[in-house]
Amino acid sequence: MLVYLLRRIALAGLMLFGLVCLTFAIANVAPSDPAALAAGPDAGRSQIEQVRREYGLDRPLPEQFVRYVGDLVQGEFGRSVATGRSVGRDLARYFPATLELCLVAMAFGMLAGISLGMLSALFKDRWLDHAMRIFAVSGIALPPFWFGLLLQLGFAAWLGWLPTSGRIGVSTDPGDPITGLLLVDSLLRGNGPLFVQCLSYIALPALVLSLPCLASILRVNRSEMVEALRADYITAARAHGVSRWRLVTVHALKNAMLPTLAIIGLRWGWMMSSTVLVETVFDWPGIGLYAVSSAIAGDFKPVMGVTLIIGLNFMLVNLVVDLLYGVLDPRLRHA
Amino acid sequence: MTTTRRAILHGAALSALAPSMSWAFDKDGDRKILVFSGNQAVPVLDPHVRYDWSTRMIQQSVYDGLLKYVGNPPRIIPWLAEKYEASPDGLTYTFHLVGNAKFHNGDPVDAEAVRYSFERALKLNAGVAWMLKDFLKPEKITAVDAKTVRFVLERPFQPFISYVPWWYIVNPKQVQANVVDGDYGKKWLTENEAGSGPFKLKRFDSTALIHMDAVPDYWKGWPMGDKNRLSGVIYRIVREAAPRRAGLQRREMDVVTNMSPDDMQQLAKLPGVRAEDHPGSTTFGIKFNCQTGPTADINLRKAIAYAFDYEALITIHNGGAKLMDSPFPPTMEGHIPVPGIPRKDVAKAKEFLAKTKTPSGGIELEYVHVQGLEDARRIGLVLLDSLRTLDIKLNIVGQPWPTMVARGSKPDTAANMTSVYVTPIGTDPDTVAFQYHRDSWGLYYGMSHYEDKEAWAMIAEARGLTDKARRMALYGEIQKRIVADQPEIFGMIPNRTWAMRDYVKGFEFSPVRFTGEVDLYPMWIDA
Repeated sequence: MLVYLLRRIALAGLMLFGLVCLTFAIANVAPSDPAALAAGPDAGRSQIEQVRREYGLDRPLPEQFVRYVGDLVQGEFGRSVATGRSVGRDLARYFPATLELCLVAMAFGMLAGISLGMLSALFKDRWLDHAMRIFAVSGIALPPFWFGLLLQLGFAAWLGWLPTSGRIGVSTDPGDPITGLLLVDSLLRGNGPLFVQCLSYIALPALVLSLPCLASILRVNRSEMVEALRADYITAARAHGVSRWRLVTVHALKNAMLPTLAIIGLRWGWMMSSTVLVETVFDWPGIGLYAVSSAIAGDFKPVMGVTLIIGLNFMLVNLVVDLLYGVLDPRLRHA
Repeated sequence: MTTTRRAILHGAALSALAPSMSWAFDKDGDRKILVFSGNQAVPVLDPHVRYDWSTRMIQQSVYDGLLKYVGNPPRIIPWLAEKYEASPDGLTYTFHLVGNAKFHNGDPVDAEAVRYSFERALKLNAGVAWMLKDFLKPEKITAVDAKTVRFVLERPFQPFISYVPWWYIVNPKQVQANVVDGDYGKKWLTENEAGSGPFKLKRFDSTALIHMDAVPDYWKGWPMGDKNRLSGVIYRIVREAAPRRAGLQRREMDVVTNMSPDDMQQLAKLPGVRAEDHPGSTTFGIKFNCQTGPTADINLRKAIAYAFDYEALITIHNGGAKLMDSPFPPTMEGHIPVPGIPRKDVAKAKEFLAKTKTPSGGIELEYVHVQGLEDARRIGLVLLDSLRTLDIKLNIVGQPWPTMVARGSKPDTAANMTSVYVTPIGTDPDTVAFQYHRDSWGLYYGMSHYEDKEAWAMIAEARGLTDKARRMALYGEIQKRIVADQPEIFGMIPNRTWAMRDYVKGFEFSPVRFTGEVDLYPMWIDA
């Protein structure tokens, strides 16, 4: 197991290096001049050259790459040309918002996806099952950007039930961060109204972000549950008088969870990359919005930083899922 | 029974959420907070490092300049300087400061602060520095006494006064206390302020919102009276137009900008919403590549200019635009309507086309616009349609602004035609005329790489002329000459628009400000 773990970590390191090479190449192939953009539209040549020198953009590309990798090794992501700030510090500032959004979306997606998948399997080929299948296909097919705007129009503009965008009321002081997750921080402080306010702000973006995840989990869980409910051990358990509730939630669900777990892992990775769209629609101040704002400004270091974080997230999640496989399935543990 | 339970749950959920919603303007005690929303972030607050419309709106709120632009037509009024005088040779400018101005920390705004601020801007050589760096050296700025500061220029430069309002004064003591590695406080001023303006910074999140508190005892006083002044202003960054529109509808926001003409039409119909729609000074032009490719031929440029359907520009903006009659916007000093500026005339277009190497067309040209700018894309479609009459095909390409600017910076890579909006930085005609000078090649407004050595000489000469009548006459000639050379299709001047709740008072439009930018100082809420 340890050898397996070490091999996976080494492989993840190699993949990460590949990602660094790729993002660096893409950032430098793009026909854009970050120095000119940072200097401003009216800046003269001397001003542009000054910015170029200040950020080392006048150095040969291999030298810039070596310097960038050196920074990464020291836990630095370089400096943003647009703001002059450390990208690492910016990422640390914006990441909690993204993490909070993803955690809420994933919790909702898992809860609803597994429950609805189970229901769909139990009522196989009946109207509820058909409705769930249509819902699942729509959930995967709906573009988050469009769906987000639709929800804003419905719940914020027409019904006025929820705020349109942002993470917290504009004149609300969230206080100094404890964990950086506003929902958790407000609970830790015992501030109920702030918790409710945060919940109202996160509801729509989390719903949009969770939908593809929810739909995928629903589909996989349904098909696995259908298979599991047909299995001989279920028939045997039923013959032994095991209650229907226990049969479904303990015996069938546990066996159906293995592929579901894989899809949850994959979806967590996708979810973090989807924040780029969802955070833009809802102006959620996370790393997705940070990446978009930076890309618009032609500021590549933050974009590269966010890409690395998302890539690292993918790798870690896959690693964790592989390890959990072993925990859930003893056959894999001994293989 | 089921219905009742559901109704109770529904009601409970709503009542739980209701207190957190902002159904009207935000309040701080008895005073109101104005929430202004636009699509652009404020990455750097330092007034000597960067400016764009959103950044300058915040800078203008927390800092003061020696002079200030107000009104329509724009006027320059004394601000930190109560008066100034210029020497007859146009080389020396002496500013006399008001006596009561103070920074937010209580320090007086004195001549040394002014000297330091100009020196800092020039030495950092960023942001506003380009305006004066060729004419003003840091050592030629002198604090004569606590209330007098003198600038001696290297050579006469008439636009000088028109740029001074954008040079904001920082508190040297605060800045120097935060210098790191001799950076002139650049790092600190990115997210902090050291100003004397009507608002002071409360919260700065460059990608989400900027919250400013009004300075109760602002040295200049409050035009709406202390009773009505705001508690503060929040600039909220919302990238998409739809949430801004929804936010205004449900009173989460009081003023929104960067809306499309169609959105503005819809918003203006809503009860309680007012649309502000004013002729601006931002020009829209389609820059030809005058150096390489088919458009290097003036006859082809003329042919395209005469084939273009100008009226469609007005239609695209739902009537909210005015056709350009000169390279200069009408709000600019020295503007003249240039006789014979091209309008759609297919016969003339064909006449010019006949003089080119491709007299019957049969070529394909590239039109580049900023990706995501729907109006610019639609104008490309108009051009495509117009060029059919000349049997010229058009390839419409949307590119991100950074890519488009990088391409346009060199004649060899610039597209045949690139559409650009340009907002003049001041009211002096030099700000537009110099866009056609050789020194503007490589900048976004110099993408035409226009070449006319005589015109360049005239532009350079006009900058230093102290005889106003002669200077304006020269600008008249420059405008005619540029139009004759047709380095671009002189398009239109779109209106500037804002939508706001009807309780928002004190809005003052000034065309010299950038798109979306407003002066927040005189604004208040009457409700």
